[in-house]
Amino acid sequence: MTISSAPDQALVLAAIEQVWGSMLFATAEAWPSDRAADFETGVQAQIELRGDWNGRLVLTCDSDVATQIAGAMLGLGPEEELPELDIHDAVGEVLNVVGGSVKGALVGTWALGLPGVSETTGAPARDESFVVSWGDAPVYVQIVPDAA
Amino acid sequence: MRALIVDDSRAMRRIVGRILGDAGFEVLEAGDGQEALTVLEGLDGAPDLACVDWNMPVMDGLTFITEVRKRPEWRSITLMMVTTESESDRIVRALAAGAHEYLIKPFTGEAMLEKLDLLGLLRTSTEV
Amino acid sequence: MTISPQAFTFVRELVRAESAIVLDTGKEYLVESRLVPLARAAGHPDVDAYVADLSKRRTPAALKLVVEALTTNETSWFRDSDPFTALRQAVFPALAKTRTNRTLRIWAGACSSGQEPYSIIMTALDTPELAGWKIELVATDLSEEMLTRSRKGEYSQLEVNRGLPATTLVRHFERAGLNWRINQSIRERVDFRQLNLTRPFPPMGRFDVVFLRNVLIYFDLPTKRDVLKRVRQVMVPDGHLFLGAAEMTMGVDDAWERVPAGRSSVYRIREEQRTCVL
Repeated sequence: MTISSAPDQALVLAAIEQVWGSMLFATAEAWPSDRAADFETGVQAQIELRGDWNGRLVLTCDSDVATQIAGAMLGLGPEEELPELDIHDAVGEVLNVVGGSVKGALVGTWALGLPGVSETTGAPARDESFVVSWGDAPVYVQIVPDAA
Repeated sequence: MRALIVDDSRAMRRIVGRILGDAGFEVLEAGDGQEALTVLEGLDGAPDLACVDWNMPVMDGLTFITEVRKRPEWRSITLMMVTTESESDRIVRALAAGAHEYLIKPFTGEAMLEKLDLLGLLRTSTEV
Repeated sequence: MTISPQAFTFVRELVRAESAIVLDTGKEYLVESRLVPLARAAGHPDVDAYVADLSKRRTPAALKLVVEALTTNETSWFRDSDPFTALRQAVFPALAKTRTNRTLRIWAGACSSGQEPYSIIMTALDTPELAGWKIELVATDLSEEMLTRSRKGEYSQLEVNRGLPATTLVRHFERAGLNWRINQSIRERVDFRQLNLTRPFPPMGRFDVVFLRNVLIYFDLPTKRDVLKRVRQVMVPDGHLFLGAAEMTMGVDDAWERVPAGRSSVYRIREEQRTCVL
C-alpha cells in the first residue's frame, strides 16, 4: 500500500473495491478503456475533500445502476421498490464512505464535506474519469481539483 | 433495550437499525445531532445506546456527544461513533469527548455485533 | 428480511452435522449475513428462498458451500473475548506468582492471519502483574501465506473493526494507507514459524500457555488424540491450554482436566499425569 499526499486513481479504486465488497456484496473492477460505457439519464454524487489538495470526488452512474446499488446496500429483494430520495441518499452514503476511506489513507490533516446527489444527463467524458464496474454496468469516478 | 441512531443518511439508519433490531433493540432515529437531542429530551428515560455519525448537517456527532456528556440524566447512555472518519487523532478526539466505542464505515453486521459485545450490550455471543 | 425459524433450523442442523460447530439461537443475523451473497449468486430473492431450495434438492456441492460460508476462519481480535479476559484476570496473575525468572513462554498453535498471537501480546501488556516481564511467543501455522501476512502485521479497515476496542486500535496501530499496521514493538515480540500439527513437533522448548483454538475440530478422533498427547509433551506440568468453545478433551485425551477460568475454562494436565510427561 503506497502512502499518498493527494487522492489518486489507485487509492480511490482501492477504496471503492473495499466499499463494494463490504457494503454491497459486489466486486469492482477497472472497466476496459475500449468498452462502451454510455447511458442517458444518470445519478451523480459529489463530495468535497479539503487539505493539502482541494477538490471533490464525483461518482456518476446510470439511474438503474443507482437503484441496484441502493438495493444491494439495503439488502432488498428485486421486487422491493425504493423512492428516488432513498436511492439518492444511498448512493451519496456510498460515496461518503469511499471519501472517508480515501481521506483516512492520506498523509496530513483533511476534512470531508457532506455528499450531494443530483440527476444528470449522459455519461461524463471518458478522458476526465476512470470507470469501474458495477456488475455489467459502468460507474464513472472523477477526482476533480478546484479551479485555480 | 433501546437504541438511538443518529445519522443523516436514511440508508445508513436503516442498515444500523436492522442490525440493532435483530439484536433485540427498540430503535429510534434522528437525522442530525440537534434532532437527536430533541428526541432524547422527549423520551421517558434514556436509551441504552446511541450510534452516532460524525459528519452531519446542523449539529455534528462530536458536538452531540459533548452535549450528551454534560447532562447527568444521560450518563447511562453508551455512545458509539459510527462514521467514515478514520484517522487515529479523530478516534482519540471522539473518545476524549465521551464516546465509549468507535466503529469505522464500511463495516459488516458482525463487526457491529462484536462492538456491542465489547460494550456488554449483547445478550448472546456472536461468534461461530 | 430476517431468516425464518425453519430456514435457521435447517442451516443449524446442517452445520452441526458437517462441522460439529453449534450455531445457537441468536445467531440468525450471522447466518443471514453469510448466506445473502450465496442466495444472490444462486438467483434467489432472499435467504429463505435459497434455503428452501437447498433443503429440497440437497445438492452436496451447494450444501458444502453453506457449511464453508458459516465456518470460514474469519478471525476477530480477542476472538470470543472470554479466554482473553481469563488470561488477564486469572491465568497471567497466577503464573506471575510462580515464575521466578520473570519469563513466560506461550505458543499460539494455529495463528492464521496473526490476530490471535497479537491479541495475546496486547493482553499481556494490559496485565499489571506482568509489567517488565519477558514474553516469548511462538506463533505457528500450516500456511506460509498466512505466516507472511502475520509477520507483516497489516490489516484492512474491515479487519480492525472486528472485535478490537477503539482504545486498543489507537494505542497499538498506525495507519498504512487504507490499512492499519500493528506497532513494531508488538510485531517483534512474536516469533512466527511454519508447523504442521499432525506431524511430530520440531524442538521448541516447553510452554506455560498454549492456544490451540478452533483447529482440532478439523481433525478426526485419532488425530485429535495424538495432537493433544504431543501438546502435553511441550507444556510445563502446570501449564494452561486454551481450546475453542466447541472443543473439549473429554473422551479424546483424558490426561487433561477442564478448570474454570473466569467466564471461560482452560485445560490443565491432571496432577497424576504430570510426572509422566516430565
